[in-house]
Amino acid sequence: MLSLRIAARFLRRSPVQSALIAAGIAVGIGVQVFLGSLIISLQQNLVDETIGSSPQVTVAAAEEGEPVTVTEAVRASLEGDDRVVAVVPVRTFSAIYRGDGASAPLQVVGGELGELDTIYDISGRTLKGAATLAGDDVLVGKEFAATNGLEPGDRAVFVLPDGAESRRTVAAVFDFGTAAANQTFAFVPATFAAEVLGHAPDQVTAVELQVADVFASVAVADDLRGDPALAGTTVSEWQSENEDLLSALQSQSTSSYTIQFFVLVAVALGIASTLAISAVQKTRQIGILKAMGMRDAKAGRIFLWQATLLGVTGAAAGVGVGLALIALFSRFAATFTIDPQWAFVALSFAVGVAVALLSSVIPSRRTSKLDPIEVIQGG
Amino acid sequence: MAEQLLVAEGLGKTYGDVVTTVALSDVAFALERGEFASIVGQSGSGKSTLLNLIGLLDTPTTGSVSLDGKETTALGRSGRTRLRNELLGFVFQFHHLLPEFSVLENVVMPGLVGGGSEKALRPRAEEVLALLGLEGLEDKNANQLSGGQKQRVAIARALLNRPALVLADEPTGNLDTANTALVYELFRKVNAELGTAFLIVTHDRAVAQQTDRILEVSDGRLVQDVRNEFGAPSG
Repeated sequence: MLSLRIAARFLRRSPVQSALIAAGIAVGIGVQVFLGSLIISLQQNLVDETIGSSPQVTVAAAEEGEPVTVTEAVRASLEGDDRVVAVVPVRTFSAIYRGDGASAPLQVVGGELGELDTIYDISGRTLKGAATLAGDDVLVGKEFAATNGLEPGDRAVFVLPDGAESRRTVAAVFDFGTAAANQTFAFVPATFAAEVLGHAPDQVTAVELQVADVFASVAVADDLRGDPALAGTTVSEWQSENEDLLSALQSQSTSSYTIQFFVLVAVALGIASTLAISAVQKTRQIGILKAMGMRDAKAGRIFLWQATLLGVTGAAAGVGVGLALIALFSRFAATFTIDPQWAFVALSFAVGVAVALLSSVIPSRRTSKLDPIEVIQGG
Repeated sequence: MAEQLLVAEGLGKTYGDVVTTVALSDVAFALERGEFASIVGQSGSGKSTLLNLIGLLDTPTTGSVSLDGKETTALGRSGRTRLRNELLGFVFQFHHLLPEFSVLENVVMPGLVGGGSEKALRPRAEEVLALLGLEGLEDKNANQLSGGQKQRVAIARALLNRPALVLADEPTGNLDTANTALVYELFRKVNAELGTAFLIVTHDRAVAQQTDRILEVSDGRLVQDVRNEFGAPSG
């Protein structure tokens, strides 16, 4: 470990130079940790906001308007897939709300509240009233209720697809976080929707699914399409219907990787130039060590160790800088939570050390090749 | 007859491929264990080239060098490096101490390079420092010493591995008269007490006169090899 000892002394001998280069690595890795965590959290947040509260895979009848029969085999198929976390049979139809001189179209979803909650979390997003779906209950959105002056307990009239009118009681008002969804959706009991649509108890309009990893929806949908139990159905998933969002996420990732790459290049160049300068500064010492019998490889390792020490110190400090930036940003600037991505933090640390090691290759080789005579004769 | 420590045969060194410069040509001599000899010559005469070849810092174009009975010409870079560490001690015109290390650490460095531990080497280092009158300076930084002290530490360092031969290239070139005298006195003392052979390169004839044997190099050739009866230490 003589090489390590000499490397440590060389670094201590020039504390300002060593501190500056460690700071350079720290800033680079700090930006890396922060930017990486920011982008990952931002994307998770965006995906969550956009499709987190909606079905990611939908199984409907192959022919539009026809019901899907949810047999035991169908349910077993859907619930048997480990990647699927929620299975919600729904009956949907269009209706028109008729108020005092005003009317508004609605997308009415019929289902069991407990099942609907697994995707839509209506209970958790109830603003007023009590979320229940029994008897003549209807649940409406915040903007819809405000536009039409509806409060829990009010009676509301809906025109059904067959032209008949139905009077229902507003049980609760929910807020999905987007005005469009709040304006469009209303929820009714499954039995009422079955009546409206003329469905048998095992018939539904569609079965909506959520998957644990939202980006696995393509694979899940593909597998379901090949499932014989689901013959006669059509399976759709969110990604093929949200190509713009996906390409935006992709572009965001690409630009983030580009920035991170160039930050690393800048860090590598910084370390390489400092080590190269250090190698020149220490030529005399290396020469005399070689004259007294230090082997070439061992002499070369001095700069490898210097790089390791700088890399480990700088990258560790960089992780601290990155986490501090995340904390500051979360507290003062962000409208969403940035979670430190620990796997990414570990990767950034490793990359920092690796870049430092890579940067030491040239000075190490130069040192290995140094001929002691060059130094000694220079006096 | 005393055992031969160093044998140089037909030693030559030529630089350059297209335009060649002959730095040394057909040098042959032998050095016995415990000898105290000097190589004298003008600047550019080839004496430092000769020292580099003997010191295994450079490889000859022609001829061979045997050290302690080992033929070195066929050795690779690492083989020569190992032999340097085991058999030779170097003292240069400039002390070349490592400013990052203390006096003691500088002195034990050849031992550490050879794979020893500081703890095991410390007693020997202290002994050598004492021999050179440097007691009490062990923990000082090399930069805190005077020029003469630095050169004495460099000598102590050269002696740590108990080398059979110390090669000194203008070792007093940067020192004043008093320190110059002291350094030669110490060389003599080490030579007498430890039996270490010395080969001192100098351009100064007065310095060479203090050694037992003078090898004179001129234009890359060994032109004289004489015993010096005045060089023996008084008493």
